[in-house]
Amino acid sequence: MNLTCTIQPGKRGCMGTSRFFLRGILLLGLLASGASLLARAASPQATNNQAALVRQSSITFVGTVSQVAASALAAVPKSPQTIVVRVDSVLKKPAAVSLKKGDTITVEVKDPAAFPEGMQATFYTEGWIFGSGVAVKELGHSAPPSGGAAETAEKPVEQAPSGISDQDLQRLLATCDYVVIGRVTDVHPWTVPKSASPRYRTSEHSANWQEAVLQVQSVLKGPKVKKNKNKVVVRFPLSRDVAWVSAPKFEPGQQGIFILQKDVSGTSVGGYKADVYTCLKPGDWLPMTEEPRVRLLLKNR
Amino acid sequence: MRALPGYPTRALALTVLVVTAGTVFGRGQSPTAVRAGVAAPAHAKVVDLIPASLSGEINQDSEPFLAVQVANPQVMVASAFTPNPISGTGNAPVYVSEDAGNTWVLNAITPVQRMTCDITHAMSIGENHPRGDLHAGTLACAASITLDESESDDVSSSAVMRVQSSRTNVDQPFVRALAFSNVDHIYIGLNDLGQSSGRTATVDVSLDGGASYKSYSIESRKTMGQDGPSVRPAVAPDNTVYAAFFGWRKFNGSMATSDVVVVRDDTGATGSHPFQALKDPSDKLPGRLVVKRVSIPWSNAPTLGQERIGSTLSIAVDPNNSSTVYVGWADRGSKGDIYTLHVRRSTDRGLTWSKSDLPHTTISNATNIALAVANNGTAGFLFQQLSGGRWVTHVVQSRDAFATIQDTIHATVPADRPLGQFLPYLGDYDYLLAVGNEFRGVFCANNTPDRANFPQGVTYQRAADFNTRTLTDGSGNPVAISIDPFYFSIPVMP
Repeated sequence: MNLTCTIQPGKRGCMGTSRFFLRGILLLGLLASGASLLARAASPQATNNQAALVRQSSITFVGTVSQVAASALAAVPKSPQTIVVRVDSVLKKPAAVSLKKGDTITVEVKDPAAFPEGMQATFYTEGWIFGSGVAVKELGHSAPPSGGAAETAEKPVEQAPSGISDQDLQRLLATCDYVVIGRVTDVHPWTVPKSASPRYRTSEHSANWQEAVLQVQSVLKGPKVKKNKNKVVVRFPLSRDVAWVSAPKFEPGQQGIFILQKDVSGTSVGGYKADVYTCLKPGDWLPMTEEPRVRLLLKNR
Repeated sequence: MRALPGYPTRALALTVLVVTAGTVFGRGQSPTAVRAGVAAPAHAKVVDLIPASLSGEINQDSEPFLAVQVANPQVMVASAFTPNPISGTGNAPVYVSEDAGNTWVLNAITPVQRMTCDITHAMSIGENHPRGDLHAGTLACAASITLDESESDDVSSSAVMRVQSSRTNVDQPFVRALAFSNVDHIYIGLNDLGQSSGRTATVDVSLDGGASYKSYSIESRKTMGQDGPSVRPAVAPDNTVYAAFFGWRKFNGSMATSDVVVVRDDTGATGSHPFQALKDPSDKLPGRLVVKRVSIPWSNAPTLGQERIGSTLSIAVDPNNSSTVYVGWADRGSKGDIYTLHVRRSTDRGLTWSKSDLPHTTISNATNIALAVANNGTAGFLFQQLSGGRWVTHVVQSRDAFATIQDTIHATVPADRPLGQFLPYLGDYDYLLAVGNEFRGVFCANNTPDRANFPQGVTYQRAADFNTRTLTDGSGNPVAISIDPFYFSIPVMP
């Protein structure tokens, strides 16, 4: 990986590569436009902090402070902590958010003294209030690119990934019981046993539970399986209700990475007692192209 | 980014009203209903809640709700199935207005991660917070469905709402609140599926601003194992509290045989055995049976257009005469109707009810009923009807138990677009409130910026070009249509 792959107009990252590499490229690209232009003597620690900021930030932009102790959004009362910034260049934002060069944005900063009027900086922020404009909270900032606004104005906007972020995936991996690569061999409705029926009464949020039989091919986290007992059962909701629409749905033959939670009950598959897991959250199933990222995050946790 | 002004075509609106009234009430109803329709009032307001800075969003922002700060009705909170716009792990947001609904911002303060899967709320003034107290009932849907009963003292702050009570296996929390002696009394109707008796219709009551809650089952009869999802309280300033629910007696997976039951408490549920003031003469048990054993279709799939059906219910009490109470619901219609609305009224504190539907309130192929009663006794009736391939949102008002009515259409939008992302398509409910001399409410609809779709006019905060009927992302790029929440207000009939 090298900095020559920095995002440039007409070359929107290395789109043919995996998201893993794209993220790395984006990260380094942002570092090139922001972090590497920070204090001239950027230590490894500073670089690490910068990388963390890039990951955490949902809205990243280069801007010039136009007012201190002020707010450009009626819903955000001005305070010593709020400043108004003119956007010179947007580096990263979710697709739904309208933010472009020339807009004003209200920023709640950590240290107001660090932001005199006229100062330009790269702002790493999280969204706060969305109205006629945007108010954000500063996660961190760095010195502006050396070329100033004229240079940054040409930067293309990188949309925050619509899929699961590294942070969210890290959290899923940390809290799950089992991570496996496998293939679905069968899907059938789960008949709720009478003893459990009070937990599954009728509501518009009823899950329409299904069971997918999963042939485990390799285990990335959790107990290993024996060769002749390599099947587990994964329960998932088929319902299109708002509660479950984002939960993974499975079909026979589907392969991928399954991030699973242990269910209290067991079941029988092929004559032996098989473990039962649930797969409920967006990101609990990932395509095989995500394997390098999952392995890396598991290794680094 | 542009905010388009309202579309002042009152003459057209009047024409649409009269014509549409013919369509609406012509379905199996007396033609006299058409003559009963009168012109739309001036100054109706409709506002798309999506802020300009989220012009690029394409979510299905369905199932709206609304709360108004009684002491300062400029302040309102609305909600919908709107996800946190920037993070899968951030808090689910609410919409906040501080200018009586003209503009709205999105503020991520609910205790639920990313997006609620049910949310209702009410603002009361017992604790004298000028931009609170917002009391919310939210469902978080992850491995299990969890109810949070929570509070905010200031809905414009970034502080996440304080969770005051929490439990799992609960459905459709529905919040009402009213201040008594400087303390907020909160009543949350819900279907407590954890009730082992099967008598699941429940009201959670807090008499101390949410610091503590007590849970009361309000079903006194045998059920098929549970009651229907909707449990709706209504509170009058004289401490009278009503609640309506569906007492499910049979259920085969696609049809419920249900009573529509109303309970009452005369002391704000402060006694040890609340909600037992109203007994049915047939069995002397608490809970008046307004209608018995009606058939209610249950379909958790697109059935009424792209909408599911199964549990729409509303109750409203006259704030100045708690003896007068209205209840409305939907059940299986006759003559091929999929889902038919009904409204009944009691003028003796729920002891007796109109024997049949009030005039002009039997509405075929409709859902999302919401009732409210204004200070002058005018009843408001919000519903959404599938008619001629369109979802038509009506607000009907009447001073005489719907013998004569004023019907105002706030939206008439194509029902086949956009394609549903999940269920519910528009919502399992919408909401109507009486505030001074206005009815205020929320509904969801296709957000195509087409003036013909909004006969009372409409204001979009998000970027929209009404000439080309396209949405844009604020930078000129087109954005697909989706379901948006809309706020409306309309003067109460004098």
